[in-house]
Amino acid sequence: MKKLLIPFFIIWTICFSACQKELEKINRNPNEPNTVQPDYLLSNGIKSNVDTYWGQDATMDGALLYVQYWSKIQYTDADRYIPASTSIQTVWSNFYAQGIQDFTTLAQLGDSLHNPNYKAIAIIMRSWIFQQLTDLYGDIPYRQAASIEQYLTPVYDSQRVVYNGLLAELKNANTLFTNNADVQGDVLLRGDPLRWKQFANALRLRIALRIADRDFAAAKAVFDDVAASGNILLQKDSLVKLNYLASPNQNPVGRNRETRNDYRISKSIVDKLKALGDPRLSIYATVPKDTNVIIGVTNGLPNDSAARLGFSKTSDAGAVFTATTAPAILFSYAEQQFILAEAAQRGLISGNAATLYNQAITASFAQYGISAAEAATYVTKPGVAYDGGNYKKYIGEQKWLALFGQGLEAFAEWRRLDYPQLKPALTGALNGKMPQRFTYPSSEQALNGANYKAAVARQGSDLLTTRVWFDVN
Amino acid sequence: MKYVKRLSGLLSALLWIQQSYAQEIRVGGVVTSRQDAQRIPGAVIRIKGTSQGTQADADGKYTISAHTGDTLQISFIGFQTALVPVLQHHIINISLENTDSKLQEVVVTALGISKEKKSLGYAVQELKSKDIAEARETNLVNALSGKIAGVQVTNSQGNLGSSRIVIRGETSIAGNNQPLFILDGIPVDNSQLGIGTGRDFANAISDVNPDDIASISVLKGPNAAALYGSRAANGVILIKTKTGKDTKGGIGVTVNSNATFESLLVLPDFQNVYGQGAGGQFSYKDGKGGGLNDGTDESWGPKMDGRLIPQFFSNGEAVPFVPHPNNVKDFYVTGYTLNNGLAVGGTTDKIDYRFSYNNTRQSGILPNTGITRNTFTASNTFRITPKLTLSTYADYIRTAADNLPGVDGRRGNSVTLQFIWFGRQVDVARLKNYKNPDGTDYNWNHSYYSNPYWIQNENTVGQLRNRFFGNARLSYEILDWLSANLRIGTDYYQDRRKYKVAYYTNGTPFGSYTEDNYAVGETNGEFTLNAKRKLGRDFNLDVLAGGNIRTNQFEQNYQQAPKLAVKDVYTLNNSRDPLISTSYFSKQKVYSAFGSAQLSYHNYAFVNVTARNDWSSTLPAGNNSYFYPSVNASLVVSDALHIQSKALSLLKVRGGWAQVGKDTDPYQLISTYPFNQPFGSYPLQTVSDKFLKKDLKPEITTSTEVGLEAGFLDNRLRLDVTWYNSNSRNQILLADVSPTTGYLKKLLNAGEINNRGIEVMLGLTPVTTRSGFRWDVNVNFARNVSKVIELDKEGFLNDYVLGSSGNIQVLASKGKRYGALYGKAFARDAQNRIIVNDDGTPAIDPNKKVLGYFTPNWTGGINNSFSFKGFSLSFLIDTKQGGSIWSGTNYTGIYTGVLAASLPGRDADLGGLPYYYDGQKNVQLPDHNTAAPGGAAVHHDGMIFDGYTADGKKNTRILSAEDYYKSVYNSSVNESSVYDASFIKLREIKLGYSLPQSWVHRLKLQSVNVALVARNLGYLQKHVPNIDPETAFNTGNGQGLETLQIPTTRSIGFNLNVSF
Repeated sequence: MKKLLIPFFIIWTICFSACQKELEKINRNPNEPNTVQPDYLLSNGIKSNVDTYWGQDATMDGALLYVQYWSKIQYTDADRYIPASTSIQTVWSNFYAQGIQDFTTLAQLGDSLHNPNYKAIAIIMRSWIFQQLTDLYGDIPYRQAASIEQYLTPVYDSQRVVYNGLLAELKNANTLFTNNADVQGDVLLRGDPLRWKQFANALRLRIALRIADRDFAAAKAVFDDVAASGNILLQKDSLVKLNYLASPNQNPVGRNRETRNDYRISKSIVDKLKALGDPRLSIYATVPKDTNVIIGVTNGLPNDSAARLGFSKTSDAGAVFTATTAPAILFSYAEQQFILAEAAQRGLISGNAATLYNQAITASFAQYGISAAEAATYVTKPGVAYDGGNYKKYIGEQKWLALFGQGLEAFAEWRRLDYPQLKPALTGALNGKMPQRFTYPSSEQALNGANYKAAVARQGSDLLTTRVWFDVN
Repeated sequence: MKYVKRLSGLLSALLWIQQSYAQEIRVGGVVTSRQDAQRIPGAVIRIKGTSQGTQADADGKYTISAHTGDTLQISFIGFQTALVPVLQHHIINISLENTDSKLQEVVVTALGISKEKKSLGYAVQELKSKDIAEARETNLVNALSGKIAGVQVTNSQGNLGSSRIVIRGETSIAGNNQPLFILDGIPVDNSQLGIGTGRDFANAISDVNPDDIASISVLKGPNAAALYGSRAANGVILIKTKTGKDTKGGIGVTVNSNATFESLLVLPDFQNVYGQGAGGQFSYKDGKGGGLNDGTDESWGPKMDGRLIPQFFSNGEAVPFVPHPNNVKDFYVTGYTLNNGLAVGGTTDKIDYRFSYNNTRQSGILPNTGITRNTFTASNTFRITPKLTLSTYADYIRTAADNLPGVDGRRGNSVTLQFIWFGRQVDVARLKNYKNPDGTDYNWNHSYYSNPYWIQNENTVGQLRNRFFGNARLSYEILDWLSANLRIGTDYYQDRRKYKVAYYTNGTPFGSYTEDNYAVGETNGEFTLNAKRKLGRDFNLDVLAGGNIRTNQFEQNYQQAPKLAVKDVYTLNNSRDPLISTSYFSKQKVYSAFGSAQLSYHNYAFVNVTARNDWSSTLPAGNNSYFYPSVNASLVVSDALHIQSKALSLLKVRGGWAQVGKDTDPYQLISTYPFNQPFGSYPLQTVSDKFLKKDLKPEITTSTEVGLEAGFLDNRLRLDVTWYNSNSRNQILLADVSPTTGYLKKLLNAGEINNRGIEVMLGLTPVTTRSGFRWDVNVNFARNVSKVIELDKEGFLNDYVLGSSGNIQVLASKGKRYGALYGKAFARDAQNRIIVNDDGTPAIDPNKKVLGYFTPNWTGGINNSFSFKGFSLSFLIDTKQGGSIWSGTNYTGIYTGVLAASLPGRDADLGGLPYYYDGQKNVQLPDHNTAAPGGAAVHHDGMIFDGYTADGKKNTRILSAEDYYKSVYNSSVNESSVYDASFIKLREIKLGYSLPQSWVHRLKLQSVNVALVARNLGYLQKHVPNIDPETAFNTGNGQGLETLQIPTTRSIGFNLNVSF
């Protein structure tokens, strides 16, 4: 008996030492690589986050409706300030888990691969995403975000801390670029360090102006610094944009229009463009089949009266926005000139505010292929012609018209400038008020409860109507 | 070795001597059942230790040549094997004891070892083939419902699909809580692949044909199943298949035929007063908003009083607007299951053989759904020499479905979604011709839905599964007391699914085509040595040692043509866009060494010890070896103290402690960088949204169990009580984390959950007469209390999300019972009264609340069975008490105004209040005849929500009925749609008749049994309206959510079993 067992156990033992190695080998994941290529990560980071930025959850069912660029004729809840909880969750999850994390990893790769340009681009893109997040939600996890090994429940930073942190990061990023590091996979700016520096500086000015009502000195310091370092800003009529491709890489708006017919251009912007005799009207809106006239739809209709409008009697947004390969704009030269105009007006830079304002409008016209001559006439019209004594109204309204389609930026600037003056959605669910932010996704209550509560205690109730820090009444 | 040879030489010499002295005689007699004195045709009589044997004939008679001093071994299925010495007598009549007489019961335990039940230190419950095959359930799991204490079965939807089974509550917070299924010693897969694809694919164990099952033994927890290791924490279901020995003599052919018809058990109660539309208005033009509210898919439209309104079929002509009360019911059809099987079996002195073929055709209650299954099995035992036996079992199963029902409320494939948004005036018969001449769909609505018949006939999901499982076992009796077993088994299947979405389907204008293919395999090789020795006069020792190598492989290949280039051609080549493809492969391997020992004293005191060590590929090098022991003991007090009497037939106490370790899924250690679909020519790679863990440790479940078994009054009253306490720690959880960490999920290794409970089985035989009448009552009761002790070591996480639907989530929350339904509730004031908004609608609390738990407080069943001569009648009542369910059908159906529950208040006759709109708000009028000031329109559908304003005043704001119901029942507030899920169900009635042996023999048959069987007949108690509280759309842990279920079914059928 024992003699039978001994060889059995010897075989067993031999097997197990060999087996340990075998077991480890079996558990090597054959499905996905253990390493990542920086160029693939960069392409992915740009594509997926611009999708979120331009997509249904944040923009089409959110900001575009809130600033009354678009309205809805089916499933009008979103247009009545009843956002789907999944939308709020998706924006938050995508921006953090796909955006902040991917670019944080890319920044680390830049270090380990000794390619500072990847790192700089990663920081600029991450800052752009953080800016979208804080614009939308207010206080957000920033300093402890995307460090899961240290922070499983990241603390929310106040919006002031976030903006100031971003300003510092962007400034620093611009110092990292070298001309002898090759960047591949940059579907936004083709790896051109100069264009990235221009974009980073433009973002710095955007953020600086955003906080100017709260912290003028800090804003001023940024404008001074950008000027001091050579005013490396967007070139005339240039755009920072992602060019979408054919399906399945089509523009999110184009993708929506393939199967849905829920959105229309808002009556608010149509009326404004008509009142000003603005030539952008025929570009921003389509002519409906049945009417031959551009007709906008009032925001916040109840489902039944919206449905009664039918599909062919009101105008959708123009093909420039709804085409399959329409670009998504991250930053336009026009916006930059509006920023500079306001900065000049408020003494953040020296310069002539009216000139810059006219340049901004001319740039917006140029963006849509309308001649400078038409712009020159337009800027003299009453209601358009700049009045520095009422800069918030003039810049607010024209910036709103120029940013058409860029819902998130327009939503932030409308809140900051309080112009244009919009009427709340007809049957809005906020007792006659308008949304001033997104609510935090409900998952934060469950998964990051203590920090969530602290943020809400500091910022105010977690409601759509609560104002964020930059938004001074 | 030399020693062994010498010993066997000596043994054979002794045997030869013994034989030379023995005298050959012819013996014969009759084999009968001790219980009812019925003869037992087909009983197997064998001379112990030789291959010589015979079978009793049709009258139970046998003859055999034997030597004096031989021992006859008489066996038959359902009876205990008897051993009778051959003396000088030529006539040996034998009466066999039923195995279900509790005292000597032999049950199948871990590793397929049969043991006397009294020797076990844990609870085991067994079902016999009759319990399974007659009252046939197409999903094997359902057959256990209500019959086994502590087993909870959650039915699938409709009559096709999955069923979930949990034993003694959920022991794993996040992982699989389904027990391990073992068929003839070899694990068989019970995965449900393709969860979340909008179809309810049946769990894999439903492939097993009930006709091939001899018995099912349920090992309820680690104490019973420790030898199975890793996967035993959830209990084990041991299936023993029939062999040639189970054949009842004759030529050995058995034909089984079964026809079952399934009809709706619960259908929502729809209203038939108001039709489609909004604000009381409707007129059809194009079904997508061109007419008056004709894009609206709700029933808040005009009264269906025959008024003339253009409708979808009338080409603009105004036609009577009338209700079609059965428009949903008429869409469903009677489902059926036809089951025909043939088995041939027998036994000779050298082999036992059994072949069976079974064909099952199931047709669903939704049109154009069904499954066809063909099963072939072969089971053979070869007695190569008296000491060497080879047993083989092979099962080939082909499951084919042209279309399976859609679930989960998706518009492209779920008709239940459409029906809960259905116009109540729609005549479903007019939708049967669902296609227009140009190929587009013809429907009542075009803003969201495709015609329901289009969904059933065009947007189909086909499935083809080819499965083989089988095993071969070689047993060698080395010595009288020592035997060796080698067993190799495999379970392998390929499962191919084809999803078609037709061109012009609403929302998917170009259609799509998807192929999703799986290959799943598990192979086990096992070697055991078993020694049984008497130690002195008082002790018996039974020792087992062995090893096992298990390999699992899984492969998925998914390809989708997201938009078809041309219609009606379903191939991957027919694509407008680049194909979407993913593939996934995984492999895991576990080496195990195990042993067990049982020491018994005078056959009334027993101690069992087991130990096992696993080496798993899924854990990191330092942690991949883990050891776990178990010990249990039993004492038959009545034997030990010699206090057995008529009043006290049995008293046994038992108890034990066990531990089992558990590994995890493959590739959980190192985070990877998955690919996304390329952006033009740019490949995309991203950081995984799961943060994994390099130093995972195995999960450990520790379980303590004590029990008491007693029989009174000649065993007419039988009691079996078990208390258990199990604790599972180091649980591996892929927990949701705040996305702000950069990840959506993090793998944790710290979860801990405790389950405590009691199980009671009470058997009673109130009447038994000499004439053969017998009445048995079997009651089972189980209560399980779960508590989530910890989720992560740092204590950051309080909740783990098990599942969700919109705002409502199912959570495992620290310090609480498992399975909390966590969702939005109404805002309440200090007196717990609901607060209303300024506009009179109820306010919603921004913070979510626990609204209930899906886990029941207790479960139970009562089975009454009567038998007299050949007749038997039984009925089973099954209950779950406590626990909650959130019902998507209820809230949606009230929101859309289709349910009868949305009727009160909709007009004056229905109790509505009069009011007018003053331009700012609704103002109530004193009565329905009072005119409104300024000639404003008077409405009669006013309702006031029973709540209080924020400053404590009783709400007086009046709402239209539509606004009222929509503000109380909607997706933003879950509280109003959570119900008590308790029920008492009449689960099964079975009337059986076995033709008397004398008639049967005249027909040259062995036996004829007929049975009438009805299952899920109805409710004796139910609190949730409109749906079946027993519902699941998958086998995962996110239960308690009803998302537009397909109605469950009641089945009535007929079973015929004939043996030749």
